[in-house]
Amino acid sequence: MLSFATVRERWQSFAGGFVVLSLGMALVSMSALALASAGPRVPDRLAGTPVFVSAPRLDRADGSFAPDRPWSPETVASLVEELSAIPGVAQAVPDRAFYAQPVIGGRPAPSERGHAWSTATLAPYRLTAGTAPRKGETVVDRSLGLTPGTEVSVLTARGPVTFTVSGTVDGPGVFLNDAEAAPLSTGVRAIGLVAEPGADVAAIAKAAGRFADVLTGDGRSVLESRDDERTRWIGMQILTGMAVLSALVSVLVVGSTFAVGVAQRRREFGLLRAVGATPRQIRAMVYGEALVVGVAATAAGVAAGALLAPVLGAVLVDVGFEPAGFAVALSPLPLAGSFAGGVVLTLVAVWSASRRAARVGPLEALREAEVDDRPMPRLRWITGLASCALGVASAVSSDGEGAFVMSGLVAAVGVIAGLALLSPVVVPPVAHYASWPFTRGRGAVGMLVRENARTAVRRTAATATPVLVTIGCAVLITGMVQTTAAGFAAVRATTIRADAVIVPDGTPGLTDVSGGESSLFSAVFEANGDPLSTIGATPELLKTAGDTSGPLDELRHDDRVLIAEWLAEDRGLRPGAVLPVSFEDGTSARLTVAGTVRNADADVLVSRDLLRSHDPAVLADEAYVVGTAPDPGPGARVVDVAAYAAEADAEEDRLVWIATLLLVVVSTAYAGVAIVNTMVMSAAGRVRDLEVLRLSGATPRQVRGTVAAESALVVLLGAGLGTVVALPALFGIRGAFAEAMNTDVPLVIPWPLIGGLVAVCLVLAAGASVLAATTKVGR
Amino acid sequence: MKVRLEAVRRTYGTVTALDGVTAGFAAGTLTAIMGPSGSGKSTLLHCAAGLDRPTEGTVVIDGTDLGSLNEHGLTVLRRERIGFVFQAFNLVSALTAEQNVALPLRLAGRPAAPELVRRALAQVGLADRAGHRPSGLSGGEQQRVAIARALITKPAVVFADEPTGQLDTQTSRQVLGMLRRLVDDHAQTMIMVTHDPVTASYADRVIFLEDGRVVDEFTGALTAETVAARMAGTC
Ligand SMILES: Nc1ncnc2c1ncn2[C@@H]1O[C@H](COP(=O)(O)OP(=O)(O)OP(=O)(O)O)[C@@H](O)[C@H]1O
Ligand SMILES: [Mg+2]
Repeated sequence: MLSFATVRERWQSFAGGFVVLSLGMALVSMSALALASAGPRVPDRLAGTPVFVSAPRLDRADGSFAPDRPWSPETVASLVEELSAIPGVAQAVPDRAFYAQPVIGGRPAPSERGHAWSTATLAPYRLTAGTAPRKGETVVDRSLGLTPGTEVSVLTARGPVTFTVSGTVDGPGVFLNDAEAAPLSTGVRAIGLVAEPGADVAAIAKAAGRFADVLTGDGRSVLESRDDERTRWIGMQILTGMAVLSALVSVLVVGSTFAVGVAQRRREFGLLRAVGATPRQIRAMVYGEALVVGVAATAAGVAAGALLAPVLGAVLVDVGFEPAGFAVALSPLPLAGSFAGGVVLTLVAVWSASRRAARVGPLEALREAEVDDRPMPRLRWITGLASCALGVASAVSSDGEGAFVMSGLVAAVGVIAGLALLSPVVVPPVAHYASWPFTRGRGAVGMLVRENARTAVRRTAATATPVLVTIGCAVLITGMVQTTAAGFAAVRATTIRADAVIVPDGTPGLTDVSGGESSLFSAVFEANGDPLSTIGATPELLKTAGDTSGPLDELRHDDRVLIAEWLAEDRGLRPGAVLPVSFEDGTSARLTVAGTVRNADADVLVSRDLLRSHDPAVLADEAYVVGTAPDPGPGARVVDVAAYAAEADAEEDRLVWIATLLLVVVSTAYAGVAIVNTMVMSAAGRVRDLEVLRLSGATPRQVRGTVAAESALVVLLGAGLGTVVALPALFGIRGAFAEAMNTDVPLVIPWPLIGGLVAVCLVLAAGASVLAATTKVGR
Repeated sequence: MKVRLEAVRRTYGTVTALDGVTAGFAAGTLTAIMGPSGSGKSTLLHCAAGLDRPTEGTVVIDGTDLGSLNEHGLTVLRRERIGFVFQAFNLVSALTAEQNVALPLRLAGRPAAPELVRRALAQVGLADRAGHRPSGLSGGEQQRVAIARALITKPAVVFADEPTGQLDTQTSRQVLGMLRRLVDDHAQTMIMVTHDPVTASYADRVIFLEDGRVVDEFTGALTAETVAARMAGTC
């Protein structure tokens, strides 16, 4: 009864917690829904086939997208024969895919997958016009707008090939005659079993199980492409991060909201204690209030989350955090989970406040004025100091190697968290010194601002802390992301000894005829099926770009392999030893170890020709040109080295930057709510002060000026402290990075962004405090 | 004796608020505690009522030594055996008059029969204001609601710290008359702190405090004039 009544009566003091919690739970439930929908999907182009057999799949570490070993061509042939003989199987279709991108009007079309024509039955896709492709012919997606009989140039790994369109089909991709597709294709890892009408699918699956691993129903989703899998994995990290961040910040902000609420209601708790409430009953009451707010806010948040989730899904696909075709489905379990989680979260958040409320003695009911001079709890002292100490220790102990980035982060985060905890003791003296400009002149406003900020410890700290944390983290994280990106660009620029670089333009990679020197990145498989990342390159290329060292001239021989030092050590491979491997096309070879290499970005190096002959579909990421650049043809363009260095990781940098911005925006939103909340809640406690100010002759303008200047001072203080803490860490990170990379790394901090964030905090703080003060002291 | 204090001392750091007070309060009497500001009146009341713990000495209420109780036991004792009326800030602002009166019973987990609550409110003349929140009640009305709440548990003793401090003469007289009747008709034991000789004249007995000690006390037929004269004599 009391909890309900209190929430209704004092809704202003719960509004902040309500808003934060709703916001947080909307984010959490959206993320949960998206995560629940983000599982692997059966690819559309295979959906019409009930049974697949697949090559053995290895368990891979989380975040690894190495391919599994394909079957050898002989195995594929014998499997097709055996599987076709199973009763009820109309056809056994090996899934062959390759790179094929039509060039329409001189530009590469957005469709880039090529398939053997027989695989069209797996979807099934049907001809919408024309006939199946014979040699030299192709069937294309009808949405490309090509009509049967026209000629089309198609980019393949070996270069452009001209085909005659024989027909169009109602699905994506370019389809070639099976005989023509086979030599272009990657290895076969799955064979679809097309059932005869009315055949017993379970019996087919059982029979097929004698030959290979069988996939049916949703199990077929493992056949999705590695790219989609990787995209989903990135999305999963982002969504999980967002949910955890929201939950964490909600707990902190809701906790502090309730703490302020309890601090303002000590007299009421004292009264209750005096008339017979036990400490346990007081705790229960505070929990009860939290429950009322928590249930309402979580319900609102989860409802909003459910409404907004489809929008989030579209955004995630747009920015590249989820593969095309991803859609958020509304399922009850994540919603129920988010709801329960939100309520539990609220109760966790209110734990400390409820303890404090229960400790209020009955005599507090009789105190005349609410005084703001309670010392800081011991636990807060201890954790605050420990956190600062950890940060400082981490900064001091760093050894200048790559690990510094980590210790720099720990240092900054430690000190930021520590300062946040110690803010009630740290902020007032800093406010004292920071406000000296206000002592100049004879205005009363200056004096009032200065003294108020100093004496109202709790309010000052409560406002400065979220600003400190937000700005500190924003400077640190955005600065680190941009500085490392600039660092990598600088490193690339110094390691490329070429005149120009050819890069893909509207295509996923370069064909063999784009010109320049290029390497191919693929994989070979050891005898047990473990993949080894492999670069196929010429010695000339390795000398032009990167800093790989070793007996590179051995790569002129097609039967040699250079291996990374770890591999040589791990497998006991000395020069002259034989490394049996199989390739992407399923064929095997015995390669002679010719030596070890350092600083190669792969486990093994082989000659480019060898790799190309066994991996007909892989594309080069870039090609280096010495001298004048040739015309690279459609789907590629020439850039100078500086431009290349700056944009090489553009896609990855973009994803990281979006994630960073997301983080910064979410945390600023929370800081904003916390600031407004503090201002509104403390306004009630300040009415008397402000009235006295008015009665002593201050004009309403002067009162508003005082209040606004005071909150601005506090916000600037928090922002300044945050920046001051983050900057040394950033300088350290840059130094370590420059040392490790042996090059000059500029310190890049997005000041306009930081300035914008500070401005938002300023406007919120000043606006909220002036509004609250004006409504309370209306006259 | 309903309430007995034995050599009670209470110090706040270096300040000695109560300096060895021994006093007894008989059942069915109304006692007024008087004295100059800062003499320790409120402190005495708080110690006697179990709101505060004395630094030294013992307090016994209705046969129970408060020193032997832990915080929970003390709370339960306050809830069951003691009623309070403060000078101000008496009511929980989120609750209606009726709910405020029922609060001690609910906190004790006892059924708060609506008739019982209504009767308590009627007793203080507020039957028609049961549904109002404190913000909609005058100071005197709030004070009377507080009295109704103090009485709802049928406590052994009622303590009041300047119960009429914020009321006008007319309302004060009403409230005091009511308290007096409770003592006379229901043999309620009551102890109140006051500055005002007129208020004190409603009591059966007056105790004077100065610098934390009992310096004077008298009983008998009290009038505002006799009390004022006595005050002038002691101060
Ligand atoms: N919590 C406290 N901390 C420190 N000193 C206190 C505290 N409470 C009371 N005192 C001191 O103890 C002495 C007695 O205070 P008390 O409130 O009992 O006086 P009082 O007689 O009720 O005064 P008044 O008539 O002004 O209400 C005073 O000197 C006061 O300053
Ligand atoms: Mg007093």
